[in-house]
Parts: sequence; structure tokens; C-alpha cells
Amino acid sequence: MIAIITSALFAIAASLPPQNVSPTVPSAIASQTTGAFEQLAQDAKRAREENRDDAAIETYGRALQLKPEWDEGLWYLGTLLYKKENYFEACTVLRRFLAQEPGNAYGLAMLGLSESESHDYVRALGHLKQGLAIGLGDNRDLTLKSRIVTATLLTRSEQFDESMALLFSVMTDGADTLSLEEPFGLAALRLPFLPSEIPPGRREMIRMAGAATIAIEGRKYADADKIFNELEARYPDQPGVHFLIGAYLLSEHPDEGIKELKREIEIEPANMPARIRLAQEYIKQQNLDLGISLAQETLKLAPYEPLAHMVLGEGLIAKGDSSGGIGELESASKSLPDEVEVRWDLFRAYTAVGRKEDAIREKSEIERLSK
Amino acid sequence: MTFSSPSVFASFPLLALLAIAVPAVSFTPQNNFDEIARQADSARKEGRATEAIGLYRQAVQIHPSWSDGWLWLGDLLYEQERFPEAQNSFAHFVTITPAPGPAWVMKALCEFELRDYAHSSQDLNTWIHGGRQGNEALADVADFHWALLLTREGHFDQALQLLTERAQLRGESPLLIEAMGLASLRMPNVPEDYPPGLREEVWLAGKASFYLAVQEFERGQDYSHRLLVDYDQQPGVHCMHGLLLKAQSKSGEAAQEFHEELQISPENSEAMLALAQIDIDNRALQEAMSLARQAVQIDPANPDAHHVLGRVLLAAGHANESSRELESAERLAPNRAAIHFDLSKAYQQLGRKLDAQREMSTYSAIKKKSLAEKSSMETRDAPQSPEAPQ
Repeated sequence: MIAIITSALFAIAASLPPQNVSPTVPSAIASQTTGAFEQLAQDAKRAREENRDDAAIETYGRALQLKPEWDEGLWYLGTLLYKKENYFEACTVLRRFLAQEPGNAYGLAMLGLSESESHDYVRALGHLKQGLAIGLGDNRDLTLKSRIVTATLLTRSEQFDESMALLFSVMTDGADTLSLEEPFGLAALRLPFLPSEIPPGRREMIRMAGAATIAIEGRKYADADKIFNELEARYPDQPGVHFLIGAYLLSEHPDEGIKELKREIEIEPANMPARIRLAQEYIKQQNLDLGISLAQETLKLAPYEPLAHMVLGEGLIAKGDSSGGIGELESASKSLPDEVEVRWDLFRAYTAVGRKEDAIREKSEIERLSK
Repeated sequence: MTFSSPSVFASFPLLALLAIAVPAVSFTPQNNFDEIARQADSARKEGRATEAIGLYRQAVQIHPSWSDGWLWLGDLLYEQERFPEAQNSFAHFVTITPAPGPAWVMKALCEFELRDYAHSSQDLNTWIHGGRQGNEALADVADFHWALLLTREGHFDQALQLLTERAQLRGESPLLIEAMGLASLRMPNVPEDYPPGLREEVWLAGKASFYLAVQEFERGQDYSHRLLVDYDQQPGVHCMHGLLLKAQSKSGEAAQEFHEELQISPENSEAMLALAQIDIDNRALQEAMSLARQAVQIDPANPDAHHVLGRVLLAAGHANESSRELESAERLAPNRAAIHFDLSKAYQQLGRKLDAQREMSTYSAIKKKSLAEKSSMETRDAPQSPEAPQ
């Protein structure tokens, strides 16, 4: 970790803005203050370059008392505090830095990493996402670290699919797969924990699930099959295991996939993802009555579950009940306005019943979301 | 000061020179202040936050008693998540304007972020006892943090009451789940400071508690079963399962869970009160009375404890004592409709017709308001999205 951040510092140092002009103060005091500040700034720099971190932190702090908005000082103090694992203080300083440089991606990423270490996970996720969206340039280490931490925080906030998508992209970019086993395993089993929060008895199961997911992504299907067999044998009653295997099997062996999803629902009767995926599969197989009834039963358990409304809508439309189906899809769309699949369903349904204006609106939404 | 003071004469030549060098209008501190304050307000209104912060800082240095300046400064710093500086500004504001208005909440929120929980709690308490001034959004954030602090201070039942209301109004979010988990498991922590090894347990309990709150009992039971499988000796786990069973009218099984809970954590007042209510339904009034009295003793600030004790006493024919307990409950939770209903019944038994009528009207008004809120909630298809921590 320290090595990553240190290299990030070197990469960013050149991009820092020129030092701020000091605020207007009476000239005699100003020259005294400026002189003292310049001396402290030089001392702090020297201490930092000589790896005397404690002295550098202390001296940057003193310099910042004279010039509280000195962005370079705030940056180095923030990153040194991070390096010293004083994450809470690092957050305070990096927020001051970002007040001077609101769109600084490095600042946002470093703040997100510090907040994550301080257990302020909601803010950490927001800042890391912002930093990544702006872009961390060619600082590969900081980018990689930020993406992995973002993925783990997405998992922790139960955004499992988003986390998986990010982890797949990290893997495609050549990250070490062994270090991704736990993040992948947690997202795949839909367990909203950080790797550091895995209960002792679950770590092996999570690693296996992660290894299987990585094998699938690497198209090593024989390896994935082997791991899944072992996973199922060792953890037959653990929530999440049969859902993961079932979702994997559905594309090539749908009947076996269905069996696994049913088993998952036996273990956890109100497991929403398993119920929704199963209902979707029934509808895909034109087993409409089963799909519709499962979706309806699911909505009795969870009346506000938007994906259950979507699947029910799809089933009803397939059965010829356009009006009922559109109602369900509209209900799903209200809760999930950015879900492209629902928009597509609605576009097709409106087109089929001749609601041209509504269809055009959905199409423009699809275009907006696809940008 | 007198005219003979040497300082006046000594400074005269300099003043005269300055008066020549700069326009008189910009020299006096008052005019300088007015101009800076005007610029600060403009910068703020135009979204130039960092510039506005600098200007407000200058203005409050000139006029430290300018309360609005401190307030805006605090507000802008809070927006930039610069909590130590924001806390300092709000502290100045409340010193100048001590009335318990919204600034107390802002100060408390800064202190919460700085993990100074004791002062945060103190300031929220000031705001609550000062009449909870401010808009709905402020009250919403304040109540959530108040619930977190109540949990940290060990007032789990009161925290859960607040969190349950929030779950019903706002829907699910990761922070709410974590908060409900901690309160349900009776862990005196905030989400930032509990041991990472307990995350699974807290999450499962939070999910179970959330689905209990929004009355999706079967979903809640999935999580509660998982808790029972791996953590059945942990405080709060059997109580949670019992509450889910009780909500589904499975009183016998629920009572068994509450008994198991009390074996593990004999001071769990939530389990005591739930069991007491089952006993009231079964007319086992002696047992109910003993449990409710014990709950009041353990947590005298818990309105539920006084309410249940009041109900038992009423059922047992002790209307006078009942009314006293229900009045205590009412003081602690003035917006709880059921308390007013039971208090009305107690007054009726005591022949206090006017008091009974007043309580019944309060009951009806609260019910009406909550029905209106419920119907406005039903216009939405799903609960709101996760909240930001601010």
C-alpha cells in the first residue's frame, strides 16, 4: 500500500498548481510571514525528501498555520498522514486540499482511500467514484488500488452487479487474480462485507466462489466446474452458493440451473435474486404460467421489488396481457428509471399497442442511458 | 478616553495621511465590513464557495459578533466537509445566538463527523428540548444521528423506534441497515467503530430488523434464520426472531424465543416488553406486570416500558397507577398514538371525562396525520434511495 501511494505522489507532484499568492497583509508583517513560511516550506520539503516523515508532517503543519490554503502543503501533509496510517487526520487535510482544487482526481482518490480506512464507507465510495470518473491519468498503481477498493465498497453497499462489472474490468486490465479472489467471491455470493470483515469460518468458501468466478471470466470452464462441484459438496446449505452455480449453469444447462435456483429458494425462501432469475428463466422457456405465478408470489413477499415487477410485466406481455404487463413495467420503471432493460421492454410494449409517443419517449431514454 | 490622551495626538498625523491616500469611504472598518459582507453574500449566492468562505472569514474577523456570517461560514465549510472548521463556526454562532435553533443540529453533525459523540449528543439534546426547530430535511438527518447516538449510549429501544420510523418512510439503505443491526443486537457502537469481525452479524440483524419494520416478515425471517444458525448465543438474536414471529401472530413460538433471549441477556428490555404484551393477551397479568416493572427499572427513559406497564395496570384494574405510567410514556413520546388511546381509557375508568376526550382527540389527530403520510407514501412505488451520510 505504501509503495503504491508513494509512487502516486511522485507522479502527481509535477501536476500541482503553482503556489498561491499569500493573502494581503500589512507589508512589514507580510514580509516577515512570507520569510518564515518560505523557510518552513523548504524545511518540510527537505524532511519529506529525506523520508523524515514525522518531521515533515510537523513542519508542513506549521507552514499551513501561516498559509492555510497552501495547496501543495495540504497535499503533501495529507498523503504523509495517509502513509503514516493516520487516516482520519488525512481526511481532514485532504478535504481542505479539495476545497482549493475541487476536481482534483488524485485528491478525490486519496480522500476516498483515507475515508475507507477510517470506516467512512459511504463517503469513500462517492469520492473514489468521482476520482475514477475524472481519471487518474497514467498512474496505474493508484488507479488499480482505487478501482479495487471501489469494487469492494460497492459490494459492501449491496451493489453486487456493479462490483462484479468493475472487478471484471480490473481483471481484464491484467490485475493479479489471486488478490481478486475475495472481492470476487464476496460479490458473487452477494455477501456485503469487505475482505477484512469476512468471518473466519467463511473465508475458504468465499475464496472458492471467487476462484470459480475468475475461472469463468478466463473461459477456463473445466476449472470452474471443478471448483463449483467442490463448493457445492462442502457448503451445500450456505446461502448464495446454489444461486451462483445456478446462474452459471442457466446458459448451457438450463434444467440443472433451474434445479440449483430452486435449491437456493429452499434454503432462503425469500431470496429475491434467485426468485427473479428463476421466474425470468421460466418466461424465457415459454413456461409462462410458472414464471408469472413465481413473480406474483415474489411480489407478495416484497411488494416494492422493482425487478419482480419487471419480470411479471415481461411474462404478462408474453401471455398477451399488454395492459397488465405495461402497468407492471411502468411500476418497475418508476423505481428503476435508469434500467435499460425495463426501458426496452416498455419501448417494445408501447410500439406493439400503438402508443407511439410513449414509445418515442422510451427510445430517447434508451439513447440517453446508452451514452 | 479623554482629549488629553497622548495616543489621540500621537496618531493624528498618520490618520491625516491615510485620509489623503485612500478614499474616506473605504477606510472605516464598518464600511470595509459592509463591502466584504456584501461580496461574501454574492460569492455564496453565485456558488463561488471557496471565495465566499475567505470573505466570510474576513468579515467575522472584523465583526466577530456577526452571527449570520458565522452561520454561512459554517454552512459553506460543512458543504465542503471541512468539519473541524465548520464546527468552530457553528460554535461561534451558538455563542452569539444561543436559542436552540437549527445551528445546534449543524454543530452536532460536525461533532458526529469528528467522532466527538459526547458533544454531538449534548447539542442534539439541546435542539430536541428546544422544540426541534428547522425544516423536515434537517429533522430527518438529526433524527437519524440521534438514533445512532442513542444506540451508542445504550438506549437501544428508543433508537430502534426512530430507525423503524425511518425505514417505513425512507426505505432501505446500507447505513440504515447497519444502524438497525447495531441497535437490534444491543451493541453500544456507531457504524464506524464496531469490530470488523462482527459485520456479518450486524448486517443480518439489520436486514431482519428492517424487514420487520416494513412488514415484509418472510424476508426478515430469512435473515433471522441465518442469524440463529451461526450466532444463536449472541444477545439480541432470539429477540429479533421472536419479534418476527410475534408480528406473524405466532405468539407461542415467539414467547419461547423471548425466554431464550432473556436467558442470554437478562436485561433485554425489548424482549421483556414483547413477552409482557403476549402475557397481557393471555391474561397472565402477574407475569406481565413483573416483566414491565423490570423493564421500567432497567430503562426508565423508555416510553414503551411505561406504556406496557400502564396497559398491564389498566388491565389489572389499577387505573390510577396506570394513568401515571401512561402519562410518563406520553411525556417521553408525545407523538405515539397508542399511548394517547390507552391514556384515554385510563381516564375514562377514573371518571376524568374531559381528560379522556382530550386524549382521544389527540389520538385521532395523530392517526389522521399518519394515515395522510401513509397515503402519500403509497403513491410511490418503492422506498427512497439510500441516504447520504450528511
